[in-house]
Amino acid sequence: MSSSVLSLTNVTKRYGEFTAVNRINLNIPKGSVYGFLGPNGAGKTTTIRMILDIIRPDEGEIEVLGCTSAMQVRSRIGYLPEEKGLYKKMKVWSIISYFATLKGMHRKEAKLRAFELLEQYGLKDFANATVDSLSKGMGQKVQVLSSIAHRPELVILDEPFSGLDPVNQEVLEQLIRDLKNNGQTVIFSTHIMQHAERLCERLLLITQGNKVFDGTVDEARAIIPRRVILECQNDLSALADLEGVLSVCELPVGSEGRIEGTRQWELYVKEQTNPQQILQHCFHNSISLSRFDFTQTSLHDVFVHLVGQEAREHNFR
Amino acid sequence: MRVTLLIAWREYLENVKTKGFWIGVLLVPIVFFIIFHVSSRLATATPTRYYLLVDQSGQYADSVESAIRREHQRRVMLDFMRYLQENRIESNSIQISNEPANQMDQLIDDFSNDEVAALDDWLSNGGLAFALQMSRPYLRADTPDFEEPRPQFVAAVPPPGLNLNAPPEQIVETLRPFLNGEQRLQAGDNQVSLFALILIPADVGSDIVRPAPVPTGMTDDTSPRGVQYWAGNLTDTRLSSAIQTSINNAIRQQEYTELNIDVDAVRDVQRTRLPVSRLDPGKVAGDEQVSLADTFRQWAPMGFVYLIFISLMQSVQYLLSNTIEEKSNRIIEVLLASVTPGELMMGKLLGIGATGITTIVAWLGSFFVFIRLYQTVETAMIVQILDVLLSSDLIPYFVFYYVCCYALYAGIFLAIGSLCNTLKEAQSLMMPLMMVLVVPILTMSFIAQDPNGTMARVMSWIPLFTPFTMMNRAAAQPPMFDVVGTTILLVVSTIAVLWLSGRVFRQGILRTGQPPRILELWRMLRKRTN
Repeated sequence: MSSSVLSLTNVTKRYGEFTAVNRINLNIPKGSVYGFLGPNGAGKTTTIRMILDIIRPDEGEIEVLGCTSAMQVRSRIGYLPEEKGLYKKMKVWSIISYFATLKGMHRKEAKLRAFELLEQYGLKDFANATVDSLSKGMGQKVQVLSSIAHRPELVILDEPFSGLDPVNQEVLEQLIRDLKNNGQTVIFSTHIMQHAERLCERLLLITQGNKVFDGTVDEARAIIPRRVILECQNDLSALADLEGVLSVCELPVGSEGRIEGTRQWELYVKEQTNPQQILQHCFHNSISLSRFDFTQTSLHDVFVHLVGQEAREHNFR
Repeated sequence: MRVTLLIAWREYLENVKTKGFWIGVLLVPIVFFIIFHVSSRLATATPTRYYLLVDQSGQYADSVESAIRREHQRRVMLDFMRYLQENRIESNSIQISNEPANQMDQLIDDFSNDEVAALDDWLSNGGLAFALQMSRPYLRADTPDFEEPRPQFVAAVPPPGLNLNAPPEQIVETLRPFLNGEQRLQAGDNQVSLFALILIPADVGSDIVRPAPVPTGMTDDTSPRGVQYWAGNLTDTRLSSAIQTSINNAIRQQEYTELNIDVDAVRDVQRTRLPVSRLDPGKVAGDEQVSLADTFRQWAPMGFVYLIFISLMQSVQYLLSNTIEEKSNRIIEVLLASVTPGELMMGKLLGIGATGITTIVAWLGSFFVFIRLYQTVETAMIVQILDVLLSSDLIPYFVFYYVCCYALYAGIFLAIGSLCNTLKEAQSLMMPLMMVLVVPILTMSFIAQDPNGTMARVMSWIPLFTPFTMMNRAAAQPPMFDVVGTTILLVVSTIAVLWLSGRVFRQGILRTGQPPRILELWRMLRKRTN
């Protein structure tokens, strides 16, 4: 049974009239990879800052690694903020080593560790370069390394993937898996659902300061029904009576890739429903299908389903 | 404490490693050296000036020419004295520091009198040739030959076609293109420009001003009176004052003769003097004579005030730019996840304070190297002045006021830096503080002259001015009440400022957007963060 490394109880933060984070409850087990998802301005960064005790919550309790303030256990936490920045004139190795020494690591050990990490994640040749000579993506990798150099038990990465090319995104995904394999707990926030899908065991989805979902990836997928797209010349509205089918509706003309003279139908089915049943039903009723499209629900769909409307409103506010 | 020192060390290295820092550090001694070198060479480098003397009265030409000759001889004599001091066998025998200041006074007094005894002796003994002969046994073997300075003022040959007896207006009109530099005069094989025209009209005698019991009042006549000195260069007044002095001397000689006064007796009277001993009541009995060193000690605090000011200006730049860099780069957030704002602020104060001290030490170091490598009469004097300063009680004052001044202002500037995202924003917030900082510099020389006066005492009690003003007064034994009182006030306000700055810093450092308004700032100061 893994113990909890972080728990938030009814945590609230207000800026004047505006409530940035509203009564969030959260429990993160040791050794897990936890994703913070939410649209822009949802309160992810505020929540992370409160976890780190950079700002104080107005209400509620936070317990980090058994302590009430992250400052008491700051050497056991690693943090990559959302807006990345490094001292421009410092050398790459020395900046990693500097942040490690601030976290209590011995100077010599920190230097060795910096070189070790740079070699491991493909930046060995840049060890002696100054930060201002690096590209944005490389700088970001250096900053990720500087946040984990002191082998923290809890690593908090705010938007670690933004600004990285696909290759470096892979490298970062590997780094997070490495951390997990070492038994370290990782929390990261992101907009990119694929990363969360691939890496996270559990997710927190917040919008406008409110928690809308907290659970495993599978639980998240189960929130919205699975979708089947059928294309034929017949009327398929009768399929609604089939067991496990929630709804059937015809998609309007003009959908992409449609064969001339066919109609397109969208079915929502229950989580446990086997789509083969629909295929068999069509076969028995001599319905000739020109398309059968069944896709696994993606986190993206869940995200849009849960926060889409609010996020759009927020953006146009 | 460990993280504070780590931050301080990083800040220190970051500043000390920059090229700008070392340029700043080295530039000051280099500029000092250049000014020193150039000013001591400038006198000999002044170009030869050609003048034209038209004496229609026929009375003063000889006096003016002899005055210009004497002026040249005076320069030769001074240069020779320098040459002698630099090259004599035992070069360390120039005692300045402990000589009574009266000897200096004697010299200045003699020079300011119209008859310079030393120059008279020099001329009557045969001038340079005799002096060279006399001094030869006392000079070191490797002494270079003495180079006689070129005459600075040379009489020009009037241009052909100039009628020396024409009315003054006509002469001026003829020579105007030469004075304006539009035409040049022939001097030997060279074309030279005319520096000045001295025109003494025939009727100049009627313009002599004598003391009258009733003022004659202003006349409507605006035409020039007396001797006319025409020159485009208004800054080089040596020729005009030499002429004025010599002509007035000649006139006075005439007057003495006309009034049957013995000229020699007058000359003797003019050279009669009663020495004034300057004594300091604060010194031990028997040692009350004010030496040159004492005078320097009185003026030295101004140097220290400058040093504090310059060093503070440099530190403030670093404090602001480093804080704003961290803020605009968002490094601050990573830092704040590792250290408390208090530790961060203290680390910055210490690191940049150490940078400031490094600058001062580097300046003093290069200054010492400079005076070791470049030994002349002047630098020998500076060495002695430095010895006086370093052995005086001003150093502890300087260290104390430097530290307090730095902590006081650095606290305020750090708070400003924490509120701004760009240097531009910071500059507008800095402006009032800069105005405040200028005040002690502007009042510095007044305070040095009247160190225990009302202005000095009032300013000493304003904490923002205390370090500068009290440093300025340090050599004048300010009353104990002032020293203790202002010190307590300064220390208390420094602590208060650091504490309040810490509050603003903690809240400001994560702020984005515009700097706060006054009301918001007031709320920040009052708000409890912990």
